[in-house]
Amino acid sequence: MPRTMAHWWFVGPALFLMVAIFLLPIGIAGALSFSDYSLGSAGASWVGFENYEKLLTSSTYEKMFGATFRYVFVVVPLSVGLGLGAALLISATKSFADLYKTIYFLPVMAALIAMAIVWEFAFHPTIGIVNATLERGCGTVLEGWGWYAAGCADGFPLWLTDRDYAIWVVAFIGVWQGFGFNMVLYLAGLTSVPRELYQAAEMDGAKSGWDRFRLVTWPMLGPTTVFVVTISFIRSFQVFDTVEAFYPQGGGPSKSVYVIMFAIYEKAIQQNLMGIGAALTVVFLAFVMVLTLAQRRLVERKVHYT
Amino acid sequence: MSDLSLPVASAPSVPTFRFSVAETVKHVVLILGALIVLLPFYVMISYSLKSPAEIIQGTGGFFGAQEAFRDEYCMKLGKAAADCMVTPVIYNYTTAFEKAPLLRYLFNGVVVTATIFLLQVAVALPCSYALAKLRFWGREAVFGLVLFCLLIPVHAIALPLYIGLAKLGLTNTYAALVIPWTISVFGIFLMRQFFMTVPDDLIDAARMDGMSEFSIIWNVMLPTAIPALLAFAIFSVVAHWNDYFWPRIVITGNRDLFTPPLGLREFKGDVDGDNFGPMMATATIIVAPLIVAFLIAQRRFIEGITLSGMK
Amino acid sequence: MPAIRLRSIEKSFGDTPVLNAIDLTIEAGEFLTLVGPSGCGKSTLLRILAGLEAPSAGSVVIGDRTVDGVRAADRNLAMVFQSYALYPHLTIAQNMMTPLRMRDLGFAGRLPLVGPLIARDTYRAMRAQVEETAKILRIEALLDRKPGQLSGGQRQRAALGRAMVRKPVAFLMDEPLSNLDAALRIHMRAELAELHRSLKTTFVYVTHDQAEALTMSDRMAVMMDGHILQLGAPDEVYNHPHEIRVAEFVGAPKINLLPGEVDGAGHARCDGVVLSRVATGAPSDKVTIGLRPEHLAVADKGEAGALTGRLVHRENLGSDLYLHLAVRDGAHRMVVRATPQECFHLPLGDIVRFVRKRGEALVFGADGKRLQLSPIEHTAVPEVA
Repeated sequence: MPRTMAHWWFVGPALFLMVAIFLLPIGIAGALSFSDYSLGSAGASWVGFENYEKLLTSSTYEKMFGATFRYVFVVVPLSVGLGLGAALLISATKSFADLYKTIYFLPVMAALIAMAIVWEFAFHPTIGIVNATLERGCGTVLEGWGWYAAGCADGFPLWLTDRDYAIWVVAFIGVWQGFGFNMVLYLAGLTSVPRELYQAAEMDGAKSGWDRFRLVTWPMLGPTTVFVVTISFIRSFQVFDTVEAFYPQGGGPSKSVYVIMFAIYEKAIQQNLMGIGAALTVVFLAFVMVLTLAQRRLVERKVHYT
Repeated sequence: MSDLSLPVASAPSVPTFRFSVAETVKHVVLILGALIVLLPFYVMISYSLKSPAEIIQGTGGFFGAQEAFRDEYCMKLGKAAADCMVTPVIYNYTTAFEKAPLLRYLFNGVVVTATIFLLQVAVALPCSYALAKLRFWGREAVFGLVLFCLLIPVHAIALPLYIGLAKLGLTNTYAALVIPWTISVFGIFLMRQFFMTVPDDLIDAARMDGMSEFSIIWNVMLPTAIPALLAFAIFSVVAHWNDYFWPRIVITGNRDLFTPPLGLREFKGDVDGDNFGPMMATATIIVAPLIVAFLIAQRRFIEGITLSGMK
Repeated sequence: MPAIRLRSIEKSFGDTPVLNAIDLTIEAGEFLTLVGPSGCGKSTLLRILAGLEAPSAGSVVIGDRTVDGVRAADRNLAMVFQSYALYPHLTIAQNMMTPLRMRDLGFAGRLPLVGPLIARDTYRAMRAQVEETAKILRIEALLDRKPGQLSGGQRQRAALGRAMVRKPVAFLMDEPLSNLDAALRIHMRAELAELHRSLKTTFVYVTHDQAEALTMSDRMAVMMDGHILQLGAPDEVYNHPHEIRVAEFVGAPKINLLPGEVDGAGHARCDGVVLSRVATGAPSDKVTIGLRPEHLAVADKGEAGALTGRLVHRENLGSDLYLHLAVRDGAHRMVVRATPQECFHLPLGDIVRFVRKRGEALVFGADGKRLQLSPIEHTAVPEVA
């Protein structure tokens, strides 16, 4: 190996940037979280854990955690499950596989802000296509379903402006946008399952698709699943575009969609309360890092067989 | 040697008619899913072609009847009714470009995305080469730092970066849009994994030929790294063309610097009844480039995302 | 009643025919090997028998029932794969229990946590069965380990155990020894043969290694290009190959082939030396004479009927020594077996004279088929029994 100093030129910029853009800001966020700093003010004073206390006690932040966790724990299972389901279905069909793959992956490519606005439009109570289609089903057998009948009679929900539905609609959009990505990852994972295992399963008497899934597919997808779940968790914790586009002020009908990223934006940027914004950032960072490390542990321990 | 017949649904002894029930059910489910997935695309494109009346009433099929309608705004400007008849599609798309400087936004999008990618490559390529192929004191530590930074979601550092940029007076500049993204630890990681598979002999041969380390990177490693670079490019371009969060934070006043997502958002901000059409047209224009690129090169895209993901 | 009958099995992938009208009857309890070079269709035939693939034409009969529409899981056959195909996430015991679970447990018994409680007796019986099989294969100590922690040979046994545990009608084996190193392979050959004798179940074995076929089988079927060229006991196939391709494939080192001619009296000659005598036939100058290396020896001084060649290479394997000779001015190579004492001093480049000391020379006609030899008479040929 040559003894040059060239490597420092190569690594230097990256090193400097990693420190400047990752490490330093985290340190600053940590420090700021203990202060009441505001941009433009001369100085700031130390307030200890006051910001963190607010996070744990104030009802606003209670709603924030509620909204965030509701979103995350709906979007992750659904987008992972649908991704897996789509991957299984597509790999089992004989024709049009590429077409389906392409269609399901389109939402991932399209700017979320744009598609969110379109969805908002589609969910508009009066001129949106969703309610319009639901209306068309009135007077048919679908009215056997209680909720549907009530909707036909009193009008279908207001969706995004309705406190009971808003978070779920936003979650739906999140699932819509994300499951295609998971599908692609699962498709790659499926192709790496050794074919002979399925043949062995057949010889062992595994006849139904469910038997094959439990015996071969699901266990062999272990590493992929861990990865997909982690990525989905991180992405859903970071949700911002849809929320800010729909509810520029306030985080939804009675703050039902007041997710953590939006809270950071509101407090720090809009209201210039850097201290509490920093505290929120630290909390967010803690969640994500714990998740990622948990993933690493899981993969190393339970899920690597060979 | 082993045959790769698909062992999943049909055992070979099940007679395979052209229309087997199982296969049909699968397709039905997939098609229903596809309809839901495509719904907003349908709405977006369709409404960008329709007149305000058709949008509100939900008529006109996909393409809209394309009957001329009266432009209210033009009436307000005092022109005669006859001069203000416009066909919906033309109206929508021209308004999209006129009401806000959409071309400028698109230009910004291209500039920002391209600059980010090029800088990322300029920073990541040498670093990943050094990490993969050169031995030096501190190599493991630097790589450890890369791994650590991979754990940090970029949204978490947005706030302090914003403060820093504000203090430096750099908000509302191209620099602010680009600087935080110049370091892509993901890119470093990806390229390093790739470089580790390149045989050392290639590099030794170049050294024997008298090339400096610097020129080895740009003349030898860069061409061999094209597949990985392509995967990374797809990843980076998609992420930054569509990025809304960071520009929203950092561009607060200067419209001229809006990226396409911001432009669309601004459009929405002052939307009223007549402007659904142009808004959908704007959305279509913003979304179209990546979608079209994707449709043309689907395999590459999906391979690239898979490659990035599995690494 | 024969255990398995394959009737006129044909298989094509697209336009490429892989199997051409294969007829094969496998007797109950025998060890039958399908042997041939890569691509001859033997694995495909095995998989058709297993039910993992459907034939393009023909039918499969197992016992007394035709199983053409029956899926593999219902045919009561067990298969050992080349890569073992053990479930990597299950212990060996769980691997071996899988076929029993699939067969003997209903839906309730198979539920993840409560299953073992619901069907306690069945589980106990299954576990006993697994342990008994593990004892036969001497892998009891490995039952709680996962395949990733086992060596190649151990995994092999585990795969065997999984196949044995449910006492199938026949064992199908697809090159199970190919992934083992040479020494282990030789050891496992003996073990498999002994296992077969003790189990007395039908074994259908696929391999490209003719040594495995010769040492383990009751009968072997030599396949090439989708046809069975010859079916018979190993001795029969080795000593009396039906055609030249079989003779070339079976036996190591490979049989020596020399072009020769047959005269009106049936003498088969090469370079004027009479090597054999065929029973009948028109004279021909396009025959091939086959001589196995182990039937040849260096000629004594002055011995008649010897061929000559120039020594170009010597292979000393310790127990045997093989001389490579260039005959007919280098156009052909022959391999002659010799003892080290005889030949150690022979320098390369020397001319060596060699004769057939034992066995028979095989004579093949222009179409590749073996010609009948005439019974031993007092002729000019140095006939050896």
